[in-house]
Amino acid sequence: MTNRPDTRSRGLQPPEQEVGRGGGFQPRDGRPKAVLEVRRLTTRFRTDDGVVTAVDDVSFDVLAGETLGIVGESGCGKTVTSKSIMRLLPEHIASYGEHSEVRFDGVNILRADSRQMRRIRGDKIAMIFQEPMTSLNPVFTVGWQIDEALRYHTNLSRRERRERTIEMLRLVEIPNPERRIGQYPHQLSGGMRQRVMIAMALCCEPDVLIADEPTTALDVTIQAQILDLMSSLKEKLGTAIMLITHNLGVVAQVCDRVLVMYAGRVIEQGCVREIFHAPQHPYTQALLESIPKHGARRSRTHKLPTIRGIVPSLRHLPAGCRFNDRCTYCQQRCIDEEPELIERGLPRPVRCHFPLNQALASADHAKGER
Amino acid sequence: MIGRFLGSRGWRRFRRGRLAMASLAVIGVYFVAAVAVTLGAVSREDTKMRVGPNRLPGFLERINAEKRYDFNKWYVGELSGVFGRAQRAGDEAAAREMLGAFALAERRMSGAAPSELFPVYETMEKAWGELDDALAMREDLADERFVLRAEAAEQRASGADASATEARLREVEERLSEIRPRVEELYREVERAIEVLLPMPEGLRGLVYRLRIGLGTDSKGASISSQAVYSVKIAFQVGFVTALLAVLIGTILGASAAFFGGWVDHVVLWVVSTLSSIPYLVLMAVFVYVFQAPSLAKWFDNPDRPGLGLVPLYAAFGLTFWIGTCRVIRGEVMKIKELEYVQAATALGFGRFSILLRHIIPNTAHIMFINFSLLFIGAIKSEVILTFLGLGVKGQPSWGIMISHGADGVTNFFFWEVGAATVFMFVLVLAFNIVSDALQDAFDPKHV
Amino acid sequence: MWAYVIRKLVYNIPVYLGIILLTMAALRVRDPVAGYLGKNATQSQIDRLTEDMGLDDPFIVQYGRFLWQIVRFDFSEESWAQPGRSVRSILIDSIPPSMSITLPQVAASAMIAMVIALISAYFRGRLVDRVLVFLAVLGMSISYLVYIVFGQFFGAFLPQHLDLKVQPFAIQGYLPWLTEPRNWLTYCLLPVMIGVIVALGFDTRFYRAVMVEESSRDYIVTATAKGASKPKIMFVHMLKNAMIPIITRIMATLPFLITGSILLEVYFNIPGMGRQLITALVANDFPVIQAFVSVLALLFILSIILTDVLYALVDPRVRLS
Repeated sequence: MTNRPDTRSRGLQPPEQEVGRGGGFQPRDGRPKAVLEVRRLTTRFRTDDGVVTAVDDVSFDVLAGETLGIVGESGCGKTVTSKSIMRLLPEHIASYGEHSEVRFDGVNILRADSRQMRRIRGDKIAMIFQEPMTSLNPVFTVGWQIDEALRYHTNLSRRERRERTIEMLRLVEIPNPERRIGQYPHQLSGGMRQRVMIAMALCCEPDVLIADEPTTALDVTIQAQILDLMSSLKEKLGTAIMLITHNLGVVAQVCDRVLVMYAGRVIEQGCVREIFHAPQHPYTQALLESIPKHGARRSRTHKLPTIRGIVPSLRHLPAGCRFNDRCTYCQQRCIDEEPELIERGLPRPVRCHFPLNQALASADHAKGER
Repeated sequence: MIGRFLGSRGWRRFRRGRLAMASLAVIGVYFVAAVAVTLGAVSREDTKMRVGPNRLPGFLERINAEKRYDFNKWYVGELSGVFGRAQRAGDEAAAREMLGAFALAERRMSGAAPSELFPVYETMEKAWGELDDALAMREDLADERFVLRAEAAEQRASGADASATEARLREVEERLSEIRPRVEELYREVERAIEVLLPMPEGLRGLVYRLRIGLGTDSKGASISSQAVYSVKIAFQVGFVTALLAVLIGTILGASAAFFGGWVDHVVLWVVSTLSSIPYLVLMAVFVYVFQAPSLAKWFDNPDRPGLGLVPLYAAFGLTFWIGTCRVIRGEVMKIKELEYVQAATALGFGRFSILLRHIIPNTAHIMFINFSLLFIGAIKSEVILTFLGLGVKGQPSWGIMISHGADGVTNFFFWEVGAATVFMFVLVLAFNIVSDALQDAFDPKHV
Repeated sequence: MWAYVIRKLVYNIPVYLGIILLTMAALRVRDPVAGYLGKNATQSQIDRLTEDMGLDDPFIVQYGRFLWQIVRFDFSEESWAQPGRSVRSILIDSIPPSMSITLPQVAASAMIAMVIALISAYFRGRLVDRVLVFLAVLGMSISYLVYIVFGQFFGAFLPQHLDLKVQPFAIQGYLPWLTEPRNWLTYCLLPVMIGVIVALGFDTRFYRAVMVEESSRDYIVTATAKGASKPKIMFVHMLKNAMIPIITRIMATLPFLITGSILLEVYFNIPGMGRQLITALVANDFPVIQAFVSVLALLFILSIILTDVLYALVDPRVRLS
């Protein structure tokens, strides 16, 4: 980010660029700049039973200031995608495809050396994890752990760092932050710990925050609070968020754009409203249908629809379309050849031979374009 | 249960490890050796029988002058004893019988008539006598040379006339150089005679004899290789019996403690924490001490059935080693008990014992195998230690006995006894170590 | 804090009572008097010794009496095999030699093993790691006794035999360090070194396993995501967490080392607790055996309690109250 002033001495002032646009992602006023470009990302794992491709040819952009949701069932490659971006996968097991690129600030992260990586991690791209219980180091105080990130990425003095830590804790709405910084993680509740994680991730004001199922392990009421907090911080700091989740409700609540993944591939992507209104891929549609509807009529005959079958094992993917064995619309062509992720003639890219809701989607899209 | 274990995924993963499979093959070779020994390939008599002079080095080690003298002296001494007795026996037949009775395992007295052998013996005796004289003279001359050299140097340094001393020195050196080939010749003569009297056996018997002395002999002239191979059987006996005993006790107590809970759990835990509060070597020593009680000795100390002598060791090891297994199995069963399929079996109304036997214990098989392998090593290593401390194997060879006996030899630069036992043991223990590591990796990949 | 210690103490009392019960019962399975005096003893000798030890009393009376002895640390009865010496004096005299080879051994082996384990964990899965792990397995596969035999030969005997200028180690024996510190060092150094080398194989593997396990924890990923360098992660985040199981293990091995050096003490003729115990076992010295096993178990339990307390101090998660 060459056009961004140095974070180090700037305090909490949001960067000018984002201030101009009011922070949040607004798809209608032109195309905002992409901060993170993922191109043809392929991640393979060496296992005892051979090489497994967990993420297969995934490309997408994270635009400045937006919230991008990545949705899919467990094991579809969401988490591996996010960890690949940060290069957090164990290097002796994981390898990346030859043409894979994760471009950030002119650097291909997948080929960056450890010094470049250290400068990016925590400072430019930060991450929060699913398990607040285990993600904090149990033998250091909360304050020490937030302070650590500041120590690596800023030149602040010890006192300034302490002030900043307290400020961050106050920002994530932890009461009594002066006392909390001396406490150990086990003395905090799960929600509190996730707030600490958020404070830790945001204390250097990163450009991108990757949140890997940040609310899954929390109580429902806490979930909503954490999501609200993240949204409001995004507005304040102008950070782009990449939210990984299996919960479509969460996506609807906070995301601007969505990427739907299935068995290691992107199958559909687009704006939240468009996807929720007119899903083109049968899998997306099935996912949407399996959300319990609020106030839906409950009767003996009306059952909540589910997607039959299970996610295929990455070792034994079906030939043709990877969704074909579970798809209600499956035809011979779906078994014979795998569809490409194509935009040609379609309003949004979708990986299906027979996309649904085309007319509706086109109309939506046209409305969006206007 | 074993079938299910062999069909499991972990086993397939284990089989892929090349090193582990090689180690398994090594263990197999040892096992075959142990079976062969049990069937009588190497008997207890073989390990005690004299096969040559004391502390004869094994293959490839060159025999130095000092040892050459010692070994030849031993042969001459033994032979003169036999021939002396034969001479006193008087008539030819008795002498033949007496001579024929002398043997170093397969290496027997020559079958020729005593009338032919006696002259050979006499030339050997004579040559040996001359050799002794020649060696004594050589020593005297060497001493004199040393003194003369010092004297000459002193005289030269003080400027005095050293020619007389130097002349004497030259004379001494000349005689020394004459005596050297003479000594060698006499040695050859003696060795030739020994070879005629005690010819190296030919063919299969020769091979067996060479195997017997291949690793040398111990301080009593008994074969080290026989002892080392015989000890394989002892190691397998001790290892197998105690590991089996410990794993059985540990599994039964651990599984029932976890499965039934309540007072069973309390009692088992109390016994476990009590026994594990005594350092295990002390515990083992105390158990051996108890089982070697005089009142029990009449059962175990039976010279006709030496295998029974190991019972105190089995008991002590078995009673000590089960503790660790019990802990691990208890933890694992606690985990399995909560799994859905066990809950389902309970809900379906299966009996508690049948759940325990059919659903829980088979799923601890890998732990039992790993523990078995680890305890096997533990038993072999502890046997050595206890034997050295005088509390272990008695009356038959074992690696422990070989190492503690051979320890004296090490200070005399004789490494064969300790070395043979060490190498035999090392290979087996290493193989077991690799196998247990591979088992652990294959069945419990998370445990690093 | 004190409440925690006291709770631990109270919890371990039944365990200790059990140990004494088992020890006393086990030692009485075989008739100790007959075992000591042999087959040729007269009845009057047997009776006298039995009466002296109070072995003719009911078991429960003996149990109570022995417990009372332990409480007062009053082992004033005479040793059978070493006439004229009380069990107490044997016990007290044997503690310093044992300590002088045990404590340095623990400290040195823990440090060296930790360093090797860190190196191994740092290069996890690479050649260095695999070589170190394999060396550890090789080292573990050799008998303790062989290390001692060859250690003594190469360390002490060979230099003396070759008349080398430097002869840092004595072949065997022991002198108290208070009166002769330099000789004490020559006597203790070699056994300590051998003990350390023997311990290295197993310790390294254990520490490496601990560190590898810690290195797969979530907080390590968090620290990486924060931008911490690999050395920072290993030496700050991981090591402090790994210290918890490591301290536990070091403390737990302490009492084992007292007896683990039995072999060293016997071979190097060092008059420590282990050697005294083995001498007593071989000589059927009943009063010494009984007292030694009880005291060793007591030391063991005390060190377990100490471990628990230390554990609580290192790990903020364990509440002391």
